Amino acid sequence: MERAVPPTVPLGQMEVFQALQRLHMTIFSQCFSPCGKFLAAGNNYGQIAIFRYPGLCSPTPIGSAHDGPVYSMVSTDRHLFSAGDGEVKAWLWAEILKKGCKELWCRQPPYRTSLEVPEINALLLVPKENSLILAGGDCQLHTMDLETGTFTRALRGHTDYIHCLALRDRNPEVLSGGEDGTVRLWDLRMAKEVQTIEVYKHEECSRPHNGRWIGCLATDSDWMVCGGGPALTLWHLRSSTPTTIFPMWAPQKHVTFYQDLILSAGQGPCVNQWQLSGELKAQVPGSSPGLLSLSLNQQPAAPECKVLTAAGNSCRVDVFTNLGYRAFSLSF
Amino acid sequence: MSSESSKKRKPKVIRSDGAPAEGKRNRSDPEQEGKYYSEEAEVDLRDPGRDYELYKYTCQELQRLMAEIQDLKSRGGKDAAVEIEDRRILSCVHFMTLKKLNRLAHIRLKKGRDQTHEAKQKVDAYHLQLQNLLYEVMHLQKEITKCLEFKSKHEEIDLVSVEEFYQEAPPDISKAEITMGDPHQQTLARLDWELEQRKRLAEQYRESLSNKEKILKEIEVKKEYLSSLQPRLNSIMQASLPVQEYLFMPFDQAHKQYETARHLPPPLYVLFVQATAYGQACAHMKSSQPPRQDKTLSVAIEGSVDEAKALFKPHEESQDDESDSDAEEEQTTKRRRPTLGVQLDDKRKEMLKRHPLSVMLDLKCKDDSVLHLTFYYLMNLNIMTVKARVTTATELITPISAGDLLSPDSVLSCLYPGDHGKKTPNPANQYQFDKVGILTLRDYVLDLGHPYLWVQKLGGLHFPKEQPQPTVIADHSLSSSHMETTMKLLKTRVQSRLALHKQFASLEHGIVPVTSDCHYLFPAKVVSRLVKWVTIAHEDYVELHFTKDIVEAGLAGDTNLYYMALVERGTAKLQAAVVLNPGYSSIPPIFQLCLNWKGEKTNSNDDNIRAMESEVNVCYKELCGPRPGHQLLTNQLQRLCVLLDVYLETEIHDDSVEGPKEFPQEKMCLRLFRGPSRMKPFKYNHPQGFFSHR
Repeated sequence: MERAVPPTVPLGQMEVFQALQRLHMTIFSQCFSPCGKFLAAGNNYGQIAIFRYPGLCSPTPIGSAHDGPVYSMVSTDRHLFSAGDGEVKAWLWAEILKKGCKELWCRQPPYRTSLEVPEINALLLVPKENSLILAGGDCQLHTMDLETGTFTRALRGHTDYIHCLALRDRNPEVLSGGEDGTVRLWDLRMAKEVQTIEVYKHEECSRPHNGRWIGCLATDSDWMVCGGGPALTLWHLRSSTPTTIFPMWAPQKHVTFYQDLILSAGQGPCVNQWQLSGELKAQVPGSSPGLLSLSLNQQPAAPECKVLTAAGNSCRVDVFTNLGYRAFSLSF
Repeated sequence: MSSESSKKRKPKVIRSDGAPAEGKRNRSDPEQEGKYYSEEAEVDLRDPGRDYELYKYTCQELQRLMAEIQDLKSRGGKDAAVEIEDRRILSCVHFMTLKKLNRLAHIRLKKGRDQTHEAKQKVDAYHLQLQNLLYEVMHLQKEITKCLEFKSKHEEIDLVSVEEFYQEAPPDISKAEITMGDPHQQTLARLDWELEQRKRLAEQYRESLSNKEKILKEIEVKKEYLSSLQPRLNSIMQASLPVQEYLFMPFDQAHKQYETARHLPPPLYVLFVQATAYGQACAHMKSSQPPRQDKTLSVAIEGSVDEAKALFKPHEESQDDESDSDAEEEQTTKRRRPTLGVQLDDKRKEMLKRHPLSVMLDLKCKDDSVLHLTFYYLMNLNIMTVKARVTTATELITPISAGDLLSPDSVLSCLYPGDHGKKTPNPANQYQFDKVGILTLRDYVLDLGHPYLWVQKLGGLHFPKEQPQPTVIADHSLSSSHMETTMKLLKTRVQSRLALHKQFASLEHGIVPVTSDCHYLFPAKVVSRLVKWVTIAHEDYVELHFTKDIVEAGLAGDTNLYYMALVERGTAKLQAAVVLNPGYSSIPPIFQLCLNWKGEKTNSNDDNIRAMESEVNVCYKELCGPRPGHQLLTNQLQRLCVLLDVYLETEIHDDSVEGPKEFPQEKMCLRLFRGPSRMKPFKYNHPQGFFSHR
């Protein structure tokens, strides 16, 4: 099942160029289809590949879905949203596997600068109000109404670009983490910032040599875990105090709650599994030198496809059928 | 008294000993001697017989007197004493006589001895004389025999027989009446005749010689005339050349070449014809210029035509019937006398034999550098090989790192993808190799030339990829379809190699040459500097810890060239391992980076190093510069310097560390970081001069 090493030695101009492209490929985003049988992955060349889960090894890349890298993807029941440099595109899952598939629509949030198009680093679906939140280079959270396709509001407050977003389950509140080193809590109904945590100012987790930036964020009821330049830390939101510092030297790029564990990935080839108490439960090595995203297929429609996938600085998506080991890799 | 006399006589005895003649003289004057030696003279006078009587008598008298004295004494008496006294006196007298006699006897003995001695000497002299005479006789006898055995020279001369002599010789020489009886005279006459004849022959010989000389002189004169004719003819030919040229009719050269070309083996012939045709077509296309001067492709045939002719006949025979090869095999098995190794060696040599003729192609590039290609045909393998050599218009200073760039072994490597020319393209060869124990052609390539696939195609030889087919026929259409593209590829290859060659010279001195038409790619101020540019071995490249990805992707084959660059700025050192594909510059060089600054950073632990690599490796197309893109490598290196500047200047400053930043930010950037992997602004925007994200 391994497709990591190309079978033929590249020699001609085209082959060498393709091999170099594969070597320098970064997969920024991935997203499972609502049926749970397809995995979409977007890379730095603006390509989106669709892997079919049971067959697995037949990617159907959409040649150039975006002009720049595909930084983020989310999926609804019918649509796949992908975001890259300044624009978000919607695709129909029903048509995405057909040849010559075109995007359903393409929207651009209202930007104030024209010199450089800000990128969109994070997408977040808010099912309750049927809207999509986009955040990225312009330091704002744009809310887009999926019904009408209009941008309804912009939340300002971050002083540098935004890396990541997280939605709280019960309250209509959104968390955002950014390059400025803060995690901000926004109330969507009131459209204003309710809480700011300046992570780098807490001595327990600050690591000035790595920078202040918050690269990943996840939340579960009153708990929030965030990491990046500062160490990966579990926070109690109501009291805004760090409760657990996870002893991981490398900056983390993705973190998620999974049952009673915290999964995180970042620099280095391993997916880290943490107990809430801060103990490292396991480190499962993958095939990429650095990981940028993790994706859990928890779609109830396909219980047999319950897998964890991890992607990052390579053209391969590692698939973990259980959390203990890497089963195989999917390749662009 | 006797002792006294012997003393006096001693010189005398010696004198008589030394010369017997003196003894005679001594005896001749006895009187004189007598005066002193009366006894000696007395000896001559006295009779020895009487002396003997006297001696006898005296002895008797003594005996008697003694007996009387004894008698008297025994009786005793008074008168006895007187009588004894008388007797004693008497006996004294007798003693005196005895003494005298004794002396005389001595003298006589002496004399006798002297006489004996004299006689003996005489005898000796006579004996000596006799011996001398005998010796003389012997010598004379020898001389006589020598004389008898003497051979005259005339006996060796081969004379005419006697009958012939009398028949032919004139009578004043033969003198029949004298010589008939006397063999000596006859011989003399015959010798005279011989001398006469010889003189005559010598005269004849001299005449012939002078005759010959005369003829030789005549020949000389005629030769001179002929040779004076040749330059005149040549000058006429020479004078006619411009006319030919003017009329576009290069008859001689072409004619000569075509004559030779008839003896070329089919593939080389195809190549020759196609290359000539292509060269002519090229010349015609540029017909606005004078056709002969701007000739980019010239074709020539080298090698011995005679050898080729000699080869041609048996070659044809063996083609006629297939059973010949079996017969040959039988012959070889019969000849299995020498050791197996030597024989295999011979067989190998036979198998790898080249056709004596080869085709030379000179491909001239725009800058007057010439690529010399020599094509050979291996008769028994039915493949073609090529040897390449590059000469340049100006002498090149060879930088150390440019060692392999123009070497005949590698200059044409991988002209078409994967065509490294180290394996035989003819699948049938493998079976032939198995027979003689050649593992692969690779070991012989340096000597034979490279059997590139394109060479076979130029020669019209097409080999199927998979199954071996024994008959491959040279085909014109195949050659012509490949000629143009191959020639273009060859030209670009040579030009790109020469460009690299020049660039390496300045790279080794730490200067990255950026041509004026590429300045827009880089900001005006670049602080990072190239400090080292060296060539490294393939094995060393593979062992570097940060090149694993390239090796695993199969991009680090052994046909590539490998280099190590070091870019420095302050305390930061950026190592770049470079793979230079032989297909440069259509295939870009590949850089792998390792930054030593605040720890070691490679693409596996720093996303921005990875981004820098992809900037030079993947986005190389914007760095190619003007066509044909020979500035790619230097532009990539310069880009690397710019990237290092950006990397170092945008590095976040650690607030907890005291002191100023080592690298103050001088570059204009819109944003420092962007995206999930926090990329730095590596893209340079030309007219505005700021850096942004790609």
